[in-house]
Amino acid sequence: MAETPARRQPRFQQITVMLLMTAFQLVCAACVLCRQETLQLSMVYLLVGYIAAEWIYLLIGNLVTGNDYFELEAIAFFLSGLGLTLCASFSEAFAFKQLVAIGLGLAVYLLILLLIKNMYVVRWLRYPAAIGSIGVLALNLLLAQVHNGALNWIDLGPVSIQPSELVKVVFIFVGAVTLEKLLSTKALWLYIGYALVCVSCLFLMRDFGTALIFFFTFILIAFMRSGNVRTLFLICAVALMGAMLVIYFKPYVANRFAAFRHVWEYADTLGYQQTRVLTYSASGGLCGLGLGEGYLRDVYAVTTDLIFGLINEELGIFMGVAVVLSFVGIAFFAVKTAKSAGSTFYAIAAVAAAGMLLFQMSLNVFGVTDLLPLTGVTLPFVSRGGSSMICSWGLLAYIRAAGAPFVPPRPDIAVNKRLRRPAKGGGAT
Amino acid sequence: MKITAKRAAVIYGLIALVLAGLTVFLVSLVRHGDSWAGSRFNRHIYSGGAIVNAGTIRDVNAVILAETKNGKRVFADGANTRRATLHVVGDTAGYISTGTHYLYRDALSGYSIAGGVYKLKRSGTGTDITLNIDSAACRVAYEALGDYNGAVAVYNYKTGQLLCSVSKPTFDPQNRPKDLLTNEKYEGVFLDKVLSGIYTPGSLMKIVTAACAIENMPDIYSRTFECDGEYETGDGTVICNGVHGKVSFQEAMNESCNCAFAQISIELGASKLLATAESLGFNKQLTAKEIRLAKSRFSPSKTSKSELGWAGIGQSTTYLNPAHMLAIIGAVANGGVGYAPDRIRAAGAISEMVGRVPEPLVKMNPSTAAQLQKLLRSNVADQYGESKFPGLEMCGKTGTAQIDGETSHSWFAGYSQRDDLPLAVVVIAEHAGSGMRTASAVANTVMQYFAGN
Repeated sequence: MAETPARRQPRFQQITVMLLMTAFQLVCAACVLCRQETLQLSMVYLLVGYIAAEWIYLLIGNLVTGNDYFELEAIAFFLSGLGLTLCASFSEAFAFKQLVAIGLGLAVYLLILLLIKNMYVVRWLRYPAAIGSIGVLALNLLLAQVHNGALNWIDLGPVSIQPSELVKVVFIFVGAVTLEKLLSTKALWLYIGYALVCVSCLFLMRDFGTALIFFFTFILIAFMRSGNVRTLFLICAVALMGAMLVIYFKPYVANRFAAFRHVWEYADTLGYQQTRVLTYSASGGLCGLGLGEGYLRDVYAVTTDLIFGLINEELGIFMGVAVVLSFVGIAFFAVKTAKSAGSTFYAIAAVAAAGMLLFQMSLNVFGVTDLLPLTGVTLPFVSRGGSSMICSWGLLAYIRAAGAPFVPPRPDIAVNKRLRRPAKGGGAT
Repeated sequence: MKITAKRAAVIYGLIALVLAGLTVFLVSLVRHGDSWAGSRFNRHIYSGGAIVNAGTIRDVNAVILAETKNGKRVFADGANTRRATLHVVGDTAGYISTGTHYLYRDALSGYSIAGGVYKLKRSGTGTDITLNIDSAACRVAYEALGDYNGAVAVYNYKTGQLLCSVSKPTFDPQNRPKDLLTNEKYEGVFLDKVLSGIYTPGSLMKIVTAACAIENMPDIYSRTFECDGEYETGDGTVICNGVHGKVSFQEAMNESCNCAFAQISIELGASKLLATAESLGFNKQLTAKEIRLAKSRFSPSKTSKSELGWAGIGQSTTYLNPAHMLAIIGAVANGGVGYAPDRIRAAGAISEMVGRVPEPLVKMNPSTAAQLQKLLRSNVADQYGESKFPGLEMCGKTGTAQIDGETSHSWFAGYSQRDDLPLAVVVIAEHAGSGMRTASAVANTVMQYFAGN
């Protein structure tokens, strides 16, 4: 069995995955279309167009790069498609906006891949990126629209954007490039200063959840570069004290914690969203009640913050678990690529991006299920919203960039066994 | 670079945390999913805080007590049947927390971990529940109570099946009175007095005191007691319901002689009385299947002899829950094992086939039970008269619980010895005077229904 000569990982596996995903998405599309009172062709174009776009991306990508490995994109397409389906089950307007968002996300993804291919460009970009991102946040503070008690939206007429989402992508970029080359104290201080300004801006915007994500990512990047656990503990301790002060002085933050782990006692006030998510998640069972059959969809912010509950109720716990595991898959991929990355920049960026996605997913999923305090952040790729979608795909680019060109694992296990100790990784160092 | 690659493994730690979180979520979903899905704001089940979609509740004769029809919850036919079964069936808003609607809401919703409420969604009804309750018997008991408030419960002491359970005051859930929350006569209407009520037991407590005497006084059957209408304890007086002269233990039980039982109580002492009472379930949180019963209380005074005497005859600070009394009298009837009254026959097809296992609630020494059987049989045969319970071969004890400044509560607890009628009954009629008059008459009416007369 193991004596067959070593060959490339069979291509049909990718095709199988794509075919299965297409089948799933077609079923989802059928569910959406069947629920419409009169069949709208535009909705058909929209949903079938998305599936077609996946295939076009795959085929062009294959032809241009000769790369067969699209598991990362496949996961992102799966999650985005799920979000699109849920949006479509609400209204065509939602679906159209979401499709545009996915398209923009994909464009940003490709743009970032292109930009960071060249390390000269990367280094040249760091100051403009850092200054630009702070500028955007400052502008945001000036023009902020109050939204859910947070001031993190800029309203531009037909669309509103959430600058903090876009800054997330830049934040990792700046961090990875600043700390890439050498561990100079100056570089570290510069980055700490930059991180401090970003987090402070978010606090001023009252976007507590995003501030937490930034802080977490900062710690992750600092660890990747320094590896000094003691220093990080110190940072965490200082931050914890700061956070406690914030909670003490800002009742709206303290409120979020008051109901934590006691949501059923506050079922109609602070625990409203969590209790609804739990109730309807349980109602859905393993396989869900069917698209559009749920009642969570009548609860405020269901397509953004509470989308995990909607997935559980209408598509089933299985699907909810699949969503969480998708993010775990992305993270596994990131570690793998980071180990074979061509430079420290790519490794740090990939790990930081994976960590950020995983952390934000955890804040969302475990926030609405009352395992963590509710912070009101979106579920990357799935939640409705353009800024969030663009950010998610942007982060994905760092993970892909680290792995390109991807070296497939040696398929011939028997050879490795005979060698006992194979040459590790084979990646460039 | 290599170091950076190694540090990338920190993500594995994060992944482990995420997987742990996911596991915790799934485990709590399995453990608490039924109560999450059963929460009152789940619009698959509730509308405006009241159950609309749920399985059908039937009585033991397949009479429908509550069902969903065209997205509305409707109750049994006949206003008195609805009133009589209200506390067993429960209201749709869950005010009656021991009602089937509230207590078994997860079963009624058809909830399962695998399917969620899909069944309810598809068919509009969840899992059907069949009760052991006979709604016609409940109506008979309800009507027999007349104007009195109180509770009636009948169960099969060999199986624990609760056949009749009525609590008053009550109301018709189909035509809910407008003054339900304001009118004084509906005070405590959401309380199922069988399960959640506690009353001063009066002479019913003599069953417990007698059990203690049988177990702790070897010469009790050869003893005689003097009764001249009151008994001086040295620090007070226990007053009797009559002047009985010289009485034996059995005569004291027949006559319900307070003087004799006060003497016995004082001679036994507080700790022995307390030990017997607690072994029979007093001062304990009892659970009859899924239902928590109100706690019966007994705290005989260790300092005051007269207080101890009063406690031994069921006054002072003694309180008794009717369902608990049913299990005590059931233990006597069943030779020592008193099963928990169980209202549910089956919830869903599987339990219809498997059935429910009887669960012992009160246990006593079989020889004590045998002695008590004789005493209680003698009560009816020699004192109350068979004519009070024609053809039933009843054993039992009346109780008249004195309450300061008000008419006494009227109690009866008993059972039939007939092999074809293994039923025990407990009746409490509030402020209805002597146990001999009201409660035993209600008990007879209900028992005659079951005897087919």
